[in-house]
Amino acid sequence: MPPEQPLVLIVEDDSHLRQYLTTTLRSHGFDVAEATTWEEGKRMALGLTPAVMLLDLGLPDGDGLSLARELRAVSRIPIIVVSARGREEDKVLALDMGADDYITKPFGSSELLARIRVALRHAADLSAPVPMVVEVGSLRMDFASREVTLDQKPVRLTKNEFDLLAVLTRHAGQVITNGQLLQEVWGDSAKAHATYVRVYMRSLRKKLEADPTRPRLLLTELGIGYRLKPDLD
Amino acid sequence: MVPVDGRPGCAQLIRATCRMAEARGAPWIGVHLDGPRPLISSRAEERRLSDNLLLTEELGADLIRLNPRSRNEAREILTLARTHQVTHLVLGRGEPNWRTRLAGSVLEDLSQGDLELIIHVVPTQASAEPPTAAPARPEAVDLGNLGIAIGFVALATGVGFLVFHYLGLADVIMLYMLCITAAATQFGRWPTLIASVLSILALDFCFIEPRYTFVLTDIQHIGTFAMMLGVGWVILGLAERIRAQTRLAQNQERHTRTLYHLGKVLAEGGSVAAIQQRVVSFLRQELDLPVALLLCDAKGRLPVPAGPGLRLEAEELEIARAVMERGAPVGHGTEFFTQSPCLMLPMPGTERPLGVLGLWFTAGAGAMPASRLDLLIPLASQIALALERASLAEDRTEARIQAEHEQLRSTLLSSISHDLRTPLGTITGATTTLLNPGPQSAPGDPKVLLGTILQESRRLLRMVNNLLDITKLESGLVQAKKEWAAIEEVVGSALSHLEEQLGARPVSVELPEIWVPMDPVLMEQALINMLDNAIKFSPPGSAIEVRGWVEGDRFRLSVADEGPGLPPGEEELIFEKLYRGTGRPVTPGAGLGLAICKGIAQAHGGTITGRTRPQGGAQIVIALPMDGVAPDLNPDFNS
Repeated sequence: MPPEQPLVLIVEDDSHLRQYLTTTLRSHGFDVAEATTWEEGKRMALGLTPAVMLLDLGLPDGDGLSLARELRAVSRIPIIVVSARGREEDKVLALDMGADDYITKPFGSSELLARIRVALRHAADLSAPVPMVVEVGSLRMDFASREVTLDQKPVRLTKNEFDLLAVLTRHAGQVITNGQLLQEVWGDSAKAHATYVRVYMRSLRKKLEADPTRPRLLLTELGIGYRLKPDLD
Repeated sequence: MVPVDGRPGCAQLIRATCRMAEARGAPWIGVHLDGPRPLISSRAEERRLSDNLLLTEELGADLIRLNPRSRNEAREILTLARTHQVTHLVLGRGEPNWRTRLAGSVLEDLSQGDLELIIHVVPTQASAEPPTAAPARPEAVDLGNLGIAIGFVALATGVGFLVFHYLGLADVIMLYMLCITAAATQFGRWPTLIASVLSILALDFCFIEPRYTFVLTDIQHIGTFAMMLGVGWVILGLAERIRAQTRLAQNQERHTRTLYHLGKVLAEGGSVAAIQQRVVSFLRQELDLPVALLLCDAKGRLPVPAGPGLRLEAEELEIARAVMERGAPVGHGTEFFTQSPCLMLPMPGTERPLGVLGLWFTAGAGAMPASRLDLLIPLASQIALALERASLAEDRTEARIQAEHEQLRSTLLSSISHDLRTPLGTITGATTTLLNPGPQSAPGDPKVLLGTILQESRRLLRMVNNLLDITKLESGLVQAKKEWAAIEEVVGSALSHLEEQLGARPVSVELPEIWVPMDPVLMEQALINMLDNAIKFSPPGSAIEVRGWVEGDRFRLSVADEGPGLPPGEEELIFEKLYRGTGRPVTPGAGLGLAICKGIAQAHGGTITGRTRPQGGAQIVIALPMDGVAPDLNPDFNS
C-alpha cells in the first residue's frame, strides 16, 4: 500500500450508504475509516487526523452540525457534509458552521470524488505558502499586481469585483456562501447586504462570461452562494 | 282551512287546525281577510294578528291574504275554498257574525251539492287578556284643516247673505250641507264635527227667524239641524272608510314594492356574506334606519358581533336571545322591551332559526307604525329564505370540494403507487439479473442494466422530489422568501440542472437586465419544471425559448417549445394536479410539474398561464408582481 493514500473518515449511521462509500472510495485509491456515531466520529477525527471527513448530519446521538463546529474549532480537517436535508438553509448553516462543502443525497460517485479532490487540494493549498498567482482554467489572477486575465486578455475589475473574484478563486470548486463572501469582501460593514453580492456577480459575469445564463466560470448555487468552476483536469 | 285574525282565541284555533291537518297528513291553509281595519282596533289586537299570521306560516300552512271586493266575506271565503279544493273548514265558537253566516252559506252550498266541506267548530277560550277597548290611536287634530273648515262655514254664511234674498232658506241650508260634506270628505272627524256645529249655529243665528238670535221658534228647524248632523256623520263614515282603504292600499303598495325590491336584491344570489351585506345596505336605505343581520353559527348559537360598526349592548343581546327563544319579534313597539330603541325579528329557517334581523329606531325616526311590523315580518322571512338557500348552496359546494378532494387523493395515491413502483420494479429486476446473470448473458449486458438502474433511480428521485414539493406547497409550509434576484442567475441555474436532458437542443435566452423580487430557489424550481415540460412535449432536438420581460407592473417569464401546443380548451387544466394531457401518449411523471409551478406562482402572488403560440408550440408564462424598490444598479457605488 503506497504511503500517500489519503485517509477518508466516513461518519455515517446508515450501513448501506457506508458500504457504498467505502467500496467506491477504496476503488479510487483512498484509505477509509468508518464511524457510526457522533462520539465515535469525534474521537476518530481527532485521533486519526484523516485527510477528508464525510459527515452525515442525522447521527443517532447528535447533530452533525455541532460536530462540524466543534472540530472546526480545533482542527482544519476538510469536512464534506453528506445529508438528505435538501433545504438551502441547511446547506448555508452547515457551510457557515465550518463545513467545507455540502453534498445532498442521493449523489453519484463522480460528483462525490470531485468534491473530495477539491477539498484535498484546498487543504494542501492551506499548508503551502499563499501563492501570488492563481490560475483556474483560462482565468489567471495575480494577487501582487491585482491583474486579471482571461484567455490571456486583460480584464479590468473594480476593487470589490477583484476581491470577490479573489475569494472564489482561492477556494476554486468550493461553495462560498453569500454570508462568507460579504464577510471577506466588505468585512463587518453594517451596510453589507446579500444583494451586494448579486450586484457584483452580475457585473463580474458581464466581464468574464460570454453568456451569463450559461456561465462557464462563475456558478450560482441558488439560495446558498457561489462556486468558481474548478479546474480538475 | 282556517280563518286567521287578531281575536284572542285565534292562535288556539290555528294550532287545532295544524293538529288536524297533521293527523290527516294533508296540507292546510290559513286565510286572512285584509279589509280596512275597524275604526277602533286595539294595538293588542294588531299584535295578536301579526303573531297569528306568523304562527300560521311557521306551523307550515299556506297563508292567503284576501282583500275582499265585496262585503260578503263568507262568499269570498267559500270561493277560495273551492279554488283550493278545501275539504275541512275550522271555525271557532263565538265567531263574528259573518262567520256564523259562513256556516250558513256553506250549508246552503252543500245542499246545492256544489261543495263538499266538513266544518269543525272548535271551542276557544278567550285568552287571559281581555279585549281592551283602548281608543284608536289618537288622531292629531290638524289646526290648519280646522281653520279651513271654519273658513268654509264663514264663506257659506257670506254667500248665504248674498243669495238669501233671491233664493230662500232651503238653498242656504244646501250651502251649509255643501261645506259639511266638503269637510267630511277632505278633513276628517274633528273638522267635520266643528263645521257641522258651526253651520247649525250660523244658520240659526243669521237666517232663521227670529234672525240674529239663537232662539228657535219653528220645531221643523230642529229636524233640519238633526238632518245636517246626520248627513255629515254618514258622509264622514264613508269618507273615513275610503281613506282607510286608501291608506291600506298605499301601505300594501309600499310593502309590495319593498318586498319586490328586496326580492331583486336577494335574487342576485352569491355567498351568505354577500347577501348579508347587500340586504343590510338595502334595508338601511329603504327603511332609513340602522339595520343589522345577526346570523347564527353552525351550532345555532347567535354570534355576538355582526354587521359593520355595530356592537350589541347587553339589552340588545337579551332581545336577540328572546327573539331566538320565542320565534317572534321582540323589542321596540312589541310586548317585551317596548321602550328599547331596538326591534329584532326572527329569521326562521326550515330546520332552525337562522338568526335575527335587528332595527334601531333612533330618536329622530319616531315611533314605529304598527303596519311596519306587517312589512318587517315577511321581510325577515324572505331574507331568511334567501340566506338559507345560499348557505345550503355553500354547504353543497363545500361538500363537492370535499368529494373532489377525496377523489383527487385516491387518484393521486393510485397514480403515485404506480409511478413509484414502476421504476422500483425495474431497479429490483435489473439488480437481481446482475446478481444472478443467466448462462447466456452477453458481456455488454451489465452495462445496459446498470444504465437502466441509474435512469430509473433518477426518475424515482424526480417523483419523490415533486411529491414533496407539491405537498409542501399545498400545506402552505412554503413561503416565497422574496429578494431582489438576478433573473439570469435563476435561469442559468435551472439550465445547468437540466444540462443532461437538454443535450444539444438549442435554447435561446432573452432576459432584461433587471432585478425581480422573487424567491430564487422556488423560481428556479418552477423554471426547471417548465423546461422539463417543454423537453417532454416537443420533438427531440427542437428549440426551446426562454424569455423574460416586464409588462405593466408584472415581470413575465416564459418558456416556449416547438411541440404540438396545448390541447384546445385545456389551457387551464394543464396546471391541475395529475393532468397528463388527453389524446396523447402517456408520458412518465405524475403530472405534478406544472401544478408545482402554479403553486410557486401563487406563493409569489403571481399567476401562470399557458397557450399555444400562433406560430405553434406551447408557451407557459409565469407573471410575478414587481413590487418594492429595486436595489442600486451601479456596481461601483462602494469602491
